[in-house]
Amino acid sequence: MTKIRIAFSKEDPVRWLSHLDTQKLFERALRRADIPLAFSEGFNPHPKIAFASALAVGVVSLSEYVDIELAAEVDPDVVGEKLQKAMPEGVRILGVTIIPHNAAALMAVINRADYRLRAALTAPVTEEHLAATVEKALQQTSWLVERDGKRGVSTKDIRAGVFRLQASLHDQMLLIETLVQTGSEGNVRPDEVLRVLMEQGNLPVDQESLRIIRVGLYIAKGDQLRSPMEEL
Amino acid sequence: MHLQKNTWQHTEQEISQLLEERILAQVTKPTRYTGGEFNQVRKNWDDVDVTMAFAFPDVYEVGMSHLGLRILYHLVNDQPRMAMERVFAPWTDMEAKMRQAGVPLFALESRKPLKDFDVLGFTLQYEMAYSNILNMLDLAGIPLEAGERDLTMPLVIAGGPCAMNPEPLAPFLDAVILGEGEEVLLEFLQTVADFRREQAEAQHTATGSVQPAGIRNTGTQPASTQPAGTGVYGDRLQAKRELLARLARIPGVYVPSFYEANYDAQGRFRELTPTHPDAPARILKRVVRDFDSAYFPEEPLVPYMQVVHDRIMLEVLRGCTRACRFCQAGSNYRPVRERSTERLLAQAEKLVQATGYDEIALTSLSTADHSCVSPLIRNLIAQNKDKKVGVSLPSLRVDAFSVDLAKEVQKVRKTGLTFAPEAGTQRLRDVINKGVTEEDLMNTVTSAFENGWSTIKLYFMIGLPTETEEDLEGIARLAEAVANRGSAILRQKGIKKGVKITVSTSSFVPKPQTPFQWEPQMARAELEAKQEWLKKRLRDRRIQYSWHDARLSFLEAIFAKGDRRLAAVLKRAWASGCSFDGWSDLFQFEKWQAAFEAEGINPDDYAYRPIAYDEPLPWEHLDIGVQRSYLIGEHEKALTATLTADCRTGSCSGCGVCSTLSVSNDLRGKKG
Ligand code: SF4
Repeated sequence: MTKIRIAFSKEDPVRWLSHLDTQKLFERALRRADIPLAFSEGFNPHPKIAFASALAVGVVSLSEYVDIELAAEVDPDVVGEKLQKAMPEGVRILGVTIIPHNAAALMAVINRADYRLRAALTAPVTEEHLAATVEKALQQTSWLVERDGKRGVSTKDIRAGVFRLQASLHDQMLLIETLVQTGSEGNVRPDEVLRVLMEQGNLPVDQESLRIIRVGLYIAKGDQLRSPMEEL
Repeated sequence: MHLQKNTWQHTEQEISQLLEERILAQVTKPTRYTGGEFNQVRKNWDDVDVTMAFAFPDVYEVGMSHLGLRILYHLVNDQPRMAMERVFAPWTDMEAKMRQAGVPLFALESRKPLKDFDVLGFTLQYEMAYSNILNMLDLAGIPLEAGERDLTMPLVIAGGPCAMNPEPLAPFLDAVILGEGEEVLLEFLQTVADFRREQAEAQHTATGSVQPAGIRNTGTQPASTQPAGTGVYGDRLQAKRELLARLARIPGVYVPSFYEANYDAQGRFRELTPTHPDAPARILKRVVRDFDSAYFPEEPLVPYMQVVHDRIMLEVLRGCTRACRFCQAGSNYRPVRERSTERLLAQAEKLVQATGYDEIALTSLSTADHSCVSPLIRNLIAQNKDKKVGVSLPSLRVDAFSVDLAKEVQKVRKTGLTFAPEAGTQRLRDVINKGVTEEDLMNTVTSAFENGWSTIKLYFMIGLPTETEEDLEGIARLAEAVANRGSAILRQKGIKKGVKITVSTSSFVPKPQTPFQWEPQMARAELEAKQEWLKKRLRDRRIQYSWHDARLSFLEAIFAKGDRRLAAVLKRAWASGCSFDGWSDLFQFEKWQAAFEAEGINPDDYAYRPIAYDEPLPWEHLDIGVQRSYLIGEHEKALTATLTADCRTGSCSGCGVCSTLSVSNDLRGKKG
């Protein structure tokens, strides 16, 4: 049995696919590409495909990862080429690598996500005010946000899960870059970071215009960020 | 709620930007509107002569499950100089966002407004989608009435099963395609393309213009404000009439505006008279003669979101000659034409490769009837075992053979099996010519229970002609007999799990072009009382009962057998907010009642009035091949509960289809 890890992007129009749709998309594309999938045992055999982390509908990602078990040995470059051809517009296969059979699950090891946000402002904001807002926010030790969950609304403190935060202005647009916690130890959502800033600085943001890009997913070891494609 | 036409002025770039930057993030299931699915065809409009939008008047997941769409989409797009795109009815949340942002209804592929297309073609799958058609036209900024549209607007056409009587939609449609679309559509589109080219050339000569003399609106100006009297045809409506005349000369094409409907003093339909020299008195439907080699797409669209039929649809045969007397599809798709096993196997192989689906459904009106179904299934399973691609049957006949087939295809999961005895007693089943006996049903379910199934669904109709209380009791009795048989077998096999029987009743709707077209529908109150009665009667804990909304069946009956006067009712109901009528939580019956009232039309006249054989019928100019004399004969036989044999194996019952349409039953092998 062979296990491969694939890095891919999720752009227009597939950014609108739900997590489930994305799983189906991969299953079908792998079958179209004639890649020999390994199946689970049992009554209803299904292919063994494991994604790194769910992505909110509408968010563009430039670095998604998926692990797939195969029934035969393959040349990763050939897999990449064939799979690219079997993909619709909006999915770019960025890399394919063979991983050890016992490699830790992506879900378990990925713990950092790097986001870029862009939103229109409905009234002018000065660079100084924005810088002061970011500084003020970062000085605080607690950022409380409300989250809709299965069991109603809960309050969470996300401050400890925000590792980097920068904001800038560009033609009435607010740009934010932030590195946050993700994965099994907890998730910080990029729109929550935006909301904190909006509250801190009274920023007049047109929330309907918000666009989010996930730029990277990483494995943090101490101060170092490593790509899931190298950290095996 | 409905916006002015002149606000719908967006180009495809603007539409795209509004979708991507604002709208899609705010609606449920955005992939209904994104397009871009695998195997989608997106053409450069500069390289084609004619463009058509295929419009399905229901949501994406329903429309994308429709085989006809997949066939026609790829058939047209396989032509180098033609382009077909898709559009579905936006769900209510999307509609609200679009109206708010002034985004006109657009096609998924290019995101161009529908107004920019040459042809906009609606498929008529069920009557209760008609209000969505008007809503989609409105959302596209296209005038509803055909007479208000000149050639700056697309030709609005329709086809599909309800085209057997499109009269309630007549004022809205420029043309209707009768019969199997793949036979007619290319000819139709080529005629439009030729006409547009000639117009452009003529205008070029007349004005010396170097512009490609677009008589097509580019979407920047409402039709009415464009300068009239330019081009050789001067009057744009005259030009459109000329195009319609050419289209009317294509066999199978019906141009409603070339006919005038007359009614007598009592308000009964009298006749439809042609008012144009090119309008034939009768329009004969078109049909595929060599089904085996007929076009079938081998690289079909693969949706992203889960659609209703989310699998490969392999069309194994078309038509059914079992001659159930209530069945419109039976009339419409005669005779039986099978595809050969070799071809189906080859198609399946390519389809798996091109779609990546893990399931092949063998679709048709009655797949178990294919004369080679067993070897076909065995071969398909063998061919796809390694890829873990399964085979499925969408519907089963009531016989043990069907259970054997189901056993063969069932990978392992034992989900329920569904059978349709349709009526509760032998007498009534004979009336409708459903050639199923109680013994058949009991043998079938015995085999199912013995093979490990424990959930059975039974479909019946209530309100059938001649139905009595005994027939209703029969439904209950059959359900109990099935449940008892199941319990006994499961107990015998030592299985702890209990049986589950679902009984589902729909209300009989007399459909045009069937032997029951002269029959009235049973009164709503009576149907509801029968549903109530069954609800009380089916108290057995193993049996669940569900039924269809009788109010919806009532409207369906009205529009199925309606005439042109219903168009005003439809328009009024839509204007008062009706759409998605087939979705129970959006159905607003009171608004429909108010619309009938306001238009002074008594709906009961359409649904509840028995029609005499010598009365003219609003759909009689549409010839689907099945002859009136045969339908009368079948109706009479029904009333005496006399059976008619399946002509595919027995002798010809003289329905007239084969001689009228120059076709014949086309079977591919011996059963076994
Ligand atoms: S004409 Fe005869 S053989 Fe042909 S479909 Fe009708 S009944 Fe059957």
